[in-house]
Formats: sequence, C-alpha cells, structure tokens
Amino acid sequence: MKLVKAELFKIRSTSTWWVLGLITLALWAATLLTNWAGSSINAGVDPADQGLSPDQAEQIRVANEAVNVASNLYTSGQFFGVLMVMLLAAIVVTNEFFHQTATTTFLVTPRRTSVVLAKLIASTLLGIGFWLVTSLLNLIFVPLILNALDVGPQLGEPAIWRAIGLNGLAYVLWAVLGVGAGVLIRSQVGATIALSTGYVLGYFGASILFFLLTPRIGEWFSKLQVLVPPLASQLMVAGTELPGNPPRWVGAAVLIGYAAVAGGLGTWLMRRRDIA
Amino acid sequence: MTAGSEEIVVSHLTKHYKTLRAVDDLSFTVHSGRVTGFLGPNGAGKTTTLRMLLGLVAPTAGSATFGGVRYADLEQPIRHVGAVLEASSAHKGRTGLNHLRMICTAAGLPWEAADEALARVGLTPAAKRKFKGYSLGMKQRLGIAAALLGDPRVLILDEPANGLDPEGIRWMRDLLKTLAAEGRTVLVSSHLLGEMQQLADDVVIIAAGRLIRQGPVDEVLGSMAGTAHVRVRTPQVAELTAALSEHRATVTPLPDGALLVTGLDPAAVGHAAFANSVELHELTGERADLEQVFLQLTAGKAGIR
Repeated sequence: MKLVKAELFKIRSTSTWWVLGLITLALWAATLLTNWAGSSINAGVDPADQGLSPDQAEQIRVANEAVNVASNLYTSGQFFGVLMVMLLAAIVVTNEFFHQTATTTFLVTPRRTSVVLAKLIASTLLGIGFWLVTSLLNLIFVPLILNALDVGPQLGEPAIWRAIGLNGLAYVLWAVLGVGAGVLIRSQVGATIALSTGYVLGYFGASILFFLLTPRIGEWFSKLQVLVPPLASQLMVAGTELPGNPPRWVGAAVLIGYAAVAGGLGTWLMRRRDIA
Repeated sequence: MTAGSEEIVVSHLTKHYKTLRAVDDLSFTVHSGRVTGFLGPNGAGKTTTLRMLLGLVAPTAGSATFGGVRYADLEQPIRHVGAVLEASSAHKGRTGLNHLRMICTAAGLPWEAADEALARVGLTPAAKRKFKGYSLGMKQRLGIAAALLGDPRVLILDEPANGLDPEGIRWMRDLLKTLAAEGRTVLVSSHLLGEMQQLADDVVIIAAGRLIRQGPVDEVLGSMAGTAHVRVRTPQVAELTAALSEHRATVTPLPDGALLVTGLDPAAVGHAAFANSVELHELTGERADLEQVFLQLTAGKAGIR
C-alpha cells in the first residue's frame, strides 16, 4: 500500500499528469462537439435512400436509435482519453529509466514484482480518475445536446449506465496496457511516439484495411476487427448490440487479454532485468 | 544486529556479459568502523560489483552479503544500507525535498526524515527547487541525503567525489570519516587515488574484474616502498647521469628539467654528486604514493577490454 502511495506521489510531484490532463480535456471537448455533429447528420440520413447493403442500412438504423446515440455521446472522449491514460501509465515506467530513478526505486524495494504491481494499481487509479472526470463532464453536457436533438437525456436506460461503466473498464485496461508497454519500450520518447502513432494509425489503418479487404476475403474477416485494441474498446461502449458486430463482451475479453499479457510480460521482464 | 554483523562479504562474485567477464571470481571483505576505498581503473568492474552487491544486477555466480544477508532479503533495506550510485538519478522536474519524500513514502519512513537528511547535507535552502536547477555538487549532496534517510549502518558510494569542487571534496571526506567513526561500514569506489589516500583506512584494488590487492592503506603502500624515487635538479646533467649510472641507478629526465632517479635513496644520490663535484639545486626523496602503486599494480590490465 505504501508503494502505491509512493507511486501516486511520484505522479503528483511532477507536471506530466496535469499537462496530459489538460490535453485530454481539450480533446474531450473536441470529441463531444464532433459526436454532436455526427449524431445530427446521421439523424438526417434515411438508410433506404443510400443504396446501402441491408446489413449496413440495419447498422445505421440501430445506431440512430436514441439509446445508441446517447451512449455514444455519454462516452465521448474515450478515444483520446484512454490514449492519454496509456501514455501516462507508460511514462510511470519509462520515467524511472529516463531519469535513472529505477536505481533508487529498486534500492528502496528490491522486490520488483511489488514495484510493478504498485505501478499497475497507481496507473489504474489514474485511469479511473480520468474516467470519472470525463464521465462527470459528459453527464453535465450531454443532456443539453440530447435535448437539442429532441431525444431526452436517456438516463433512465440501463444501457447508458452499462456503457459508462464499460467505458471505465476501458480506461483501467488501457492503463494496464500502458504499464506493460512502458516496460517493453524503455525509452521515454520512443514509448510516447510508438504508442500514440500506433494507437491512432492502428485505429484508422485497421479500419481502412478491414474495409478494403473484407469484400475480398469474406464477411468472417471483418469479425477479426475486434482484435485491434482501439476497435475493441470502442465496441465495449456501444449502447446495445450493433448488428454485424461481435457482442460487446468480446471487446472486453480481447482488451483484458491484451492487458493481462502486457502486465504479465512487463512484470516478468522487470524482475529479470539488470538495472545499470 | 550485533556490532560485527555489518561486514560486507563478497564471495566469488562473477558477472559475465556475452563476450566480457566484467567481474571475475571476486572475493573481499569490508570491515565496519572503517572507510574502505574500492579502487580500479575505469572499466575495472567497480560499478558492476557495487550494483551486484545491491541486488540491481544479477550475478552470474557468487554472492554478496551484509551481515550474512543478501540485499534483496533485508527487511527494509534502506534502514541497513544507504547507497549513492549516480549523481543524476532524480526526476528533473521534481524538487529535491519531494525526491526524498518519495523515498520516505515507499520505505514507510516519516517525511520529517527528508527534512533532517536535507539539513545534514546542507541543502535545506534548495529544498523546494527542482532537480534540474541543481549543480553537480548539489546533486551529489542530494544523493547522499537519500542514502542517509534510513540512518543505515552501511554506506556504499560510487565515485562520490565526481563533480565536487575542492571544498565539496573536503566536506565529503569529513562526512565519511565521521560516519565511519560512528561505527558504520563505509565503502567508497573511486579512481581518484590521491583523495583515497587521505580518506581510506583500507583499500580493495581491482583491475579487469579481478582482485589485485586488499588491505590497510599503509600496508599496501609499504609493500611498494622499495620502488621509491629521488628527484634531483642540477646544472650538470651529463656528469650526474654518468656518476649515477655507475651505481646502477636509472635516470629519467623529467619535462621540467629535473631528473628522476630510481634505485638509490636520497643519501646515496647526494653522496654520488658530492664525490663527483656536481652542484645540486634540489634533492627530494619521493615516497611511493597510492597513485604510483596503483598504476604499477594495474599496469597492463587496462580498462578497455
């Protein structure tokens, strides 16, 4: 417990957390506005007009259901929020090597597993903090937007609260992923660049790749999308099951799998590594 | 713990990297109540040895213990052993005080220990300044403050004089001597030998990862006394060189115009000059110092391997 306190103090006594926090807030605001605009446009589309396949038309129809529009809005900021949490979690580890504080840390606590666990818990708490703040902001602003769209706040729907809850799980899992990634990529700059480009490009690249290849390879191939971590976490926060998509729990399972592998591998590596 | 139990015992310690034997079957003992100098040329394996001692680097073979216990097995290690390894090992954006508080929190020590340690190294005025604004000397002092937090019985310092000005070196010397006089075990690595001669009671000399010599400073120096030099200055260089050569002495001209004579004591050199009517301007006997002993002992085992 004192190690978790120490890790939280390490985060608190430097400026990285609030710099990334401010960036998150800015990106959250931008995302909320984008989602608002997107919801307004989608609402104006009549699926029958567009010459879409029945499957796609069905997807849009369901996505346009009030509850799904709302769950999308109530989890606004997730895309960049979890990225920032992952970066912060990675920096919790890479800082130790960048500033050579790993030596001090492991002198105070030679049991390295405890140190990695403390970092995992501290990063998780940080992720929960980011989730709480963005969710609170969403709960304040989204009802206004939904009223403007003439759909009511939808806060009576259990699906909304499930989406918000799963959104929290996403923040936690990405924090764990970040710690694991930080151990794997010890370079501070390297980890920051690799993780942010990997995350953003991975998301868009994978979306495009699956869009282009699915018609050639077959419908089953598009189901593999869920293996791409950012797509998996987006799936988790869908309000209801979207047709043509795997169920939400698959997204959660995939992310938990990645987090377990990253956390386990990170702990194992940290135990073996010489601190020079 | 009993008084004798803070000895550091290094036993057959070995570290092999892919192609390099950084530390090779190294054994020595460090006694409490004394300052022990850990000497060797750059790259001799000093830092690797200290890091193995502290559980940061895993040895290929052998062991190192504090009173019979490995560092990683110590209960609350920083209450037993304080270590200063790198001067620059703190987050640049964190204040010195917060750096120490962070260690206190992780070790379960009260935050007051941080204030006391800062005061002991004279850093209280810079407590709230960020680490990136510290001079090298201040960084060293912060490192020592961190090592003293747990009031440990054993102190290990890796090249602590690096980057210190003469006043800082003097301060460090006095502090380490005080700590040893309080009965603590102090192990200090260095390649600055003149400093060690003034500071250390014992020396452990290594080169190329192997033990060269271990013992009290006087003993190690004494064993090399036969190789003392005499320094002479004369306007009649040729005559004196010829006279000394008859006594089988070696004469080496020095860059400043003086001569370095090996193989005779100062009296014999003076007598040879007098007998040959050579005028002398300077005649100095030079006792072997640690630096020369060290260079002789480690000659041919240079650090680049």
